[in-house]
Amino acid sequence: MQTVRVKKPAGSRQEEGEGEGEGENERVGEREGERVGNVVSVLSGSRKRRKGSRGNSILTRQDSSFWMFTVPALLIFLIIVQIPFFIGIFYSLTDWDGINSAPDYIGFANYRELVNDTRALGSLSFTLRFTAAVVVLSNVLGFSLALALTKGLPGTNAMRVIFFLPNIIGGLILGFLWRFVLIQGIQAIGKTTGWAFFQTPWLGDPTTGFWGSVVVFVWKTAGYLMIIYIAALLNIDKSLIEAADIDGAGKFQTLIKIKVPLLFPAFTVCLFLMLSWAMKLFDVIFALTNGAPYGSTEVFALNIYKEAFVYNNYGYGSAKAVVFFFFVAAITIVQVWATKRKEVQL
Amino acid sequence: MRQSVLRLNREFAFSILVEMFLIIMVLVFCIPLYFMLINSFKTFGEITMNAASLPEKLVWKNYAVAVKQVKFFSVFVNSISITAGSLFGMVVLGAMASWKLARVQTWVSRLMFFLYVSAMVIPFQSVMIPLVKVAFTLQLINSRLGLIVIYFGFGLPFTIFLYHGFVKGVPFELEESGRLEGCSDIQLFIHIVIPLLKTITVTVIILQTLWVWNDFLLPSLILHDRDLHTIPLGINRFFGQYRNQWDKALATLVLSMLPIIVFFLFLQKHLIRGVADGALKG
Amino acid sequence: MKKIMFLAVIFGLLAIGMIFAAGQEEGAAKEVELEIFHFKVPWIDAWENLEDEFEAAYPGVTVETEISGGGADWRTLLKAKFAAGAGPDIFIIEGFSDYQLWKEYIEPLSDQPWVSHLLPNAKASATFDGELKSMPLAMEGYGYIYNKDLFAKAGITKTPATLDELAAAAKKLKGIGVYPFASGFGTWWVISNHFTNIPFAQQDDPMGFIEGLNNGTEKIPGNAVFNQWKNVFDLVLANSEPNPLTTDHNSQVAMLANGQAAMIQQGNWKEAVLYDTNPDLNIGLLPIPISNDADAGRVPVGIPFYFVVNSTSEAAEKEAAKNFLSFLVGTPEGQRYVTEEFKAIPAFDNIPASNLGGVGKDIVEYSKQGKTIPWMFSFWPDGAVNEFSDAAQKYAAGIVSFPEYTREIQAMWDRLK
Repeated sequence: MQTVRVKKPAGSRQEEGEGEGEGENERVGEREGERVGNVVSVLSGSRKRRKGSRGNSILTRQDSSFWMFTVPALLIFLIIVQIPFFIGIFYSLTDWDGINSAPDYIGFANYRELVNDTRALGSLSFTLRFTAAVVVLSNVLGFSLALALTKGLPGTNAMRVIFFLPNIIGGLILGFLWRFVLIQGIQAIGKTTGWAFFQTPWLGDPTTGFWGSVVVFVWKTAGYLMIIYIAALLNIDKSLIEAADIDGAGKFQTLIKIKVPLLFPAFTVCLFLMLSWAMKLFDVIFALTNGAPYGSTEVFALNIYKEAFVYNNYGYGSAKAVVFFFFVAAITIVQVWATKRKEVQL
Repeated sequence: MRQSVLRLNREFAFSILVEMFLIIMVLVFCIPLYFMLINSFKTFGEITMNAASLPEKLVWKNYAVAVKQVKFFSVFVNSISITAGSLFGMVVLGAMASWKLARVQTWVSRLMFFLYVSAMVIPFQSVMIPLVKVAFTLQLINSRLGLIVIYFGFGLPFTIFLYHGFVKGVPFELEESGRLEGCSDIQLFIHIVIPLLKTITVTVIILQTLWVWNDFLLPSLILHDRDLHTIPLGINRFFGQYRNQWDKALATLVLSMLPIIVFFLFLQKHLIRGVADGALKG
Repeated sequence: MKKIMFLAVIFGLLAIGMIFAAGQEEGAAKEVELEIFHFKVPWIDAWENLEDEFEAAYPGVTVETEISGGGADWRTLLKAKFAAGAGPDIFIIEGFSDYQLWKEYIEPLSDQPWVSHLLPNAKASATFDGELKSMPLAMEGYGYIYNKDLFAKAGITKTPATLDELAAAAKKLKGIGVYPFASGFGTWWVISNHFTNIPFAQQDDPMGFIEGLNNGTEKIPGNAVFNQWKNVFDLVLANSEPNPLTTDHNSQVAMLANGQAAMIQQGNWKEAVLYDTNPDLNIGLLPIPISNDADAGRVPVGIPFYFVVNSTSEAAEKEAAKNFLSFLVGTPEGQRYVTEEFKAIPAFDNIPASNLGGVGKDIVEYSKQGKTIPWMFSFWPDGAVNEFSDAAQKYAAGIVSFPEYTREIQAMWDRLK
């Protein structure tokens, strides 16, 4: 735990073969940009040509053992994930209840029904609000913790471990645990202290249901983002900070003008992770509120689950899932594309 | 001189503030864990009277009952073997595929990679029932090996996502020189590529272990015999729809977290390095 | 790093070794394996002993039971099992709606030896499409479980049987500084299945009412019984703990057990945990009256679940499944589990109830006097139990008025039916 530095300083193997000869500042930025660029280009479906001396390092035709190395993974992946996914798409065109042996084909009726499904639209709106809140809060908290924990203060190592700890508890259990804490635990504190804050009916109305869910999910994810930010912060060239210091820049100025731009690749990744986690969230909410009170905290994944397994409309549930898949994919692509563009400008 | 002293003072004061912020956050982060720990030593009656207070006396019976009812030894062994088996396959298959996918740039390899990445967005609930049907056809139901193979499938997208990004950052020259010396691709992979992938492999192992170890829905669909159950399935017994046995449930929770905390402490140095590497290169 | 690679290899080998070891163990063949699926988690320990006794009585049969707790809905797991072609030989349904869903997998049981001993009501409710197709095991009833000591302390001499009497009792209880009710409205099945069942079950012809809703001749808004039911709903809301939507069924138990609340809307399934929490409790069961009529005090008594035999199982397994059910209710060994271990109120006339607590005894008493109403929520459309809970919680929170609430559940019914 003594060293958390991810990369060795200039001249280590990481830099070999990267762009060279440019100014210090540009070099760092470009290096990071290129790494995150991998995510971006994949997600946005385009791949820009790599520049520089490594052009010849990539085979543009298949080599002899390509199939030998890729087919085992591909085969399992296709059978286990893709085939069920396509069967699911097929079910979305039927009225299957999940049990009977002969579902009827009903065309796109399920998809048309979705437009008028106020409950589904309500849960989609909750999912979006929830996602917005946790993406912002978790990143802010994770980043603040990372800043605080790279100052060399006492207890740094132990604290990093504590903040990461929530990640090792599974979602379902975490939901049950927090339900217990928010309902039994907080009320007990409220009774003892008499403070109004603790006597709030946690999870008892839409507002506390919303913020309760947000708190739980931020608690789970902030530590993970913190680690990414710590690594990125430690990776910033010290000489840049020193140069700014000599030029008389204040702490805050250094943060905004130097650190934040250099950290943009890390922001891209953290936003991407939080977006896809938050939008797909199921187990935590399932155990924490199960949508209560009155369906106000029903995330979309939970809505799909209930449609398919509680309301016994597997076909309709599948249609929702297909739509949701494209929806999440679109949002993450837009996010990655937008932050990537920002990176380039900087 | 005076200025710099002032500045030092100000910095010191700022550090104190930061430290206080951190300590408060640590306390906030530990609240749920505190509740879990103290209440796991209480009787149900005592929990309902006051969930925040320290236990009047330690009730070890909760743990005894938990160990017995959950069949802790059996579920523990199942969890370990399933997690280890799944990870082994994900790492081997994932590293192999990612290496070629990253090094060979044709439309085939790009399409494959796109398939993997887009699968990361599939909501699991939408493939549940078809998956079970496929698993049944392939005789993967109610068997640990079957579950492991299914974990390969669902774990590969993220695994390949992580490896793929990393391989791109690794210089090609070593492989090139190996090839010039007449190594076959298999030799190249074993002797050159695998050692280069060490950091990211630790990341993959940690992240996927957290997932497989804690996963509930998938094993609950695949493993039916109680002898095959994993820890989350065992714990689930205590969280009934009509009855929550908080006293015993919290004790099982504590027990189930211990192994993964030990695992985590053992690897945490690599974890922080690994998470960061994986994320920033992915 | 060496260390880690080494560990990885060890783990890999370990895993492979275990899988092969497991493979051998799974390979050992048994003659007949009877698979059972139900959700009664509190029965876990006793059930294992029951399995042993059954296996001793029927050599060559091994029983494997999955008791699904709650993390995922039990129906989801059951569906997955059937999708996997691994449907259990005995499973459970909660009533008519479940029967509709699973009917192609349900074996008729009308020729079984225990049929003649079924209580008439139980027999009627276990009959679907004109034939007996399931085995009810026990009856359950609910209402307001009340703390007799607190009632005495508040000076309530007559157990309330009408709405006005209940209101008067609530007032007296408030006077001694306890919450008259712990509503438990944060738990969906408390406010939906059980509480919203009341206006359905209190209709003159409950079954006809449901049919009327399905064919459009009946409407919930404006229905007289629903309007009466509003009174007791309001009474509970006005006299319950603060923030009723945060109290779940566990909090109800806690508040009754430690004397904070005098009444909770629960049933005899909570008796065991109540006595566990406070062995000195002196409790009984009150009906949920919606009017001041003389016979307003009726207790909803029903069958919580029915065992059914999988019609697609192999003949030997079906045989074993039927033997198991007969063993459970037709032999002294099996019957002992029903009464002594599960502490259930048997649905059979040849199994005398024993070992009942105050609530169970009251339910038996109400049944004997014929002062019962049915459980109608198993006739609701799929998903209605969840949506009705949402709507009722909104009314409880004061977000919608009662007429709006009735229009909302009418709309839900029309959409889900």
